[in-house]
Amino acid sequence: MILAKDLTLSYNKKKNIIENANFKVKEKDFIFISGSSGSGKSTLLKSFYGELPVVRGHLFVNKYDLLKKNTGQLLSLRKELGIVFQDYKLIQEYTIEENIMLPLKVHNYTDEVSTSQVKKLLKHVKLSHKIGAYPAELSGGEQQRVAVARALAHNPSIILADEPTGNLDDYSSDMIWTLLKNANEHLGITIVVVTHRIPTDLGIKYRRFNIDEGVVYEAS
Amino acid sequence: MRLLKSFFSVTFPLVVMLMMFSIYLIVTKVVDNYKKNITNDYAIVVIANTPLSNITSLANIAVKNIEPLSREKIIKSVEKNLSDTSVDLLQKKLPYFYKIYLAEFPTNLTLDKIRKELMTISNIKKIETFSNDHNKLYSLLILVQRIIFILFSAVFLLSILLLSKQIKIWFFEHNERISIIQLHGGSLIYASKPIIKIIFASAFFTSIVSSALLFGIISNIHFFIEPEIMALIPSVFSMEFEIIQIFILSLTIPFVTFFGLLVKYKFK
Repeated sequence: MILAKDLTLSYNKKKNIIENANFKVKEKDFIFISGSSGSGKSTLLKSFYGELPVVRGHLFVNKYDLLKKNTGQLLSLRKELGIVFQDYKLIQEYTIEENIMLPLKVHNYTDEVSTSQVKKLLKHVKLSHKIGAYPAELSGGEQQRVAVARALAHNPSIILADEPTGNLDDYSSDMIWTLLKNANEHLGITIVVVTHRIPTDLGIKYRRFNIDEGVVYEAS
Repeated sequence: MRLLKSFFSVTFPLVVMLMMFSIYLIVTKVVDNYKKNITNDYAIVVIANTPLSNITSLANIAVKNIEPLSREKIIKSVEKNLSDTSVDLLQKKLPYFYKIYLAEFPTNLTLDKIRKELMTISNIKKIETFSNDHNKLYSLLILVQRIIFILFSAVFLLSILLLSKQIKIWFFEHNERISIIQLHGGSLIYASKPIIKIIFASAFFTSIVSSALLFGIISNIHFFIEPEIMALIPSVFSMEFEIIQIFILSLTIPFVTFFGLLVKYKFK
């Protein structure tokens, strides 16, 4: 799934954010990446979807070598991923159905299949009653549920989530954790979550990577 | 309102540019037509002591035809006032007259070259080019054509500049949407679909407005142009062809600009 060999990441040549990281994320793993603010959690996650280039070493996500990627390979990789952001990154001009439909459109699913999938997902994230609404009309928790539904829409092999509950209250956070847990347990999707607050009662076996001064290590 | 404003900021320069281009094409056609007519009428008259041998080109312009002027006709026109001996003498001494028709209408500079080239032929006595009258109007038309071309080039550059600025603004406005779509594996072209739609709509609207304007101008051309000048306008003027040209150009120019900016955006 994800394999890092002596992985070094940096925004500029002066200072490396992640240095010589070695780790492996297996299929169906539930991974937490934690660390203090500015430790490089989000940077590491960005490198998984090719937003940040690999400076040194190797990073393989699915079958893609991110050191040697080209635009076509990058787009193909992203089609296999689901990404959830702290700030939701929903398209404000689209309704919530259109937002969820986005990865399905990119995958060229027919309108019929897309519509039925969106209905199922809206029911799954308990937002069926909000059909036709625009993101601005929803609360933060509801917007994040739409973002999770969008990440699940095309049945990705990996979901990458960057502080998915960072802006949410406890109730909404619980809902997001439940959705991610179910995706891992029932759909077998590998989940990688960057968070500074790991839920205590997740009720699922997970692995935890910690980042400290650019060093990535697996915490027991 | 903002969409309408940005829509017109594309269509307006495009319409002006297309109109300038159409005017340039019309003037070019008028000049070409006039040039064709004067080329058909125009001939250099040459007087030679002996019959002229074959001349195929002069100053790199092909010679279309060399027409000998009938000596008998010339003698007949003057023989009434002459005695028989004088007519006999005239018949012996009268040189050969030729009209040389060229494939192209020469400029003054080329005419000088032609004159020099003809003078090198030893049996040629006199050359008459009769170019002055033709050349004055022709030069004036060429001048108008050049001025319109310079104006068109300036308008073209300015329009491309305005067009690219507007497309850049659209890219900026859609920047977030484009990056979100790209994060989900959508290509840059797929992510830019809304911009492509606006460009297509603007280009289509532009082609309709420009075609209608051109049609209006050509249908009422007698209001703008004097009847004498009207005679210069070629009678076989295809409105359909002009409209097709405008349509193709109005679509091509915004899309070429768009794809140019797309490449720039991609590398950025």
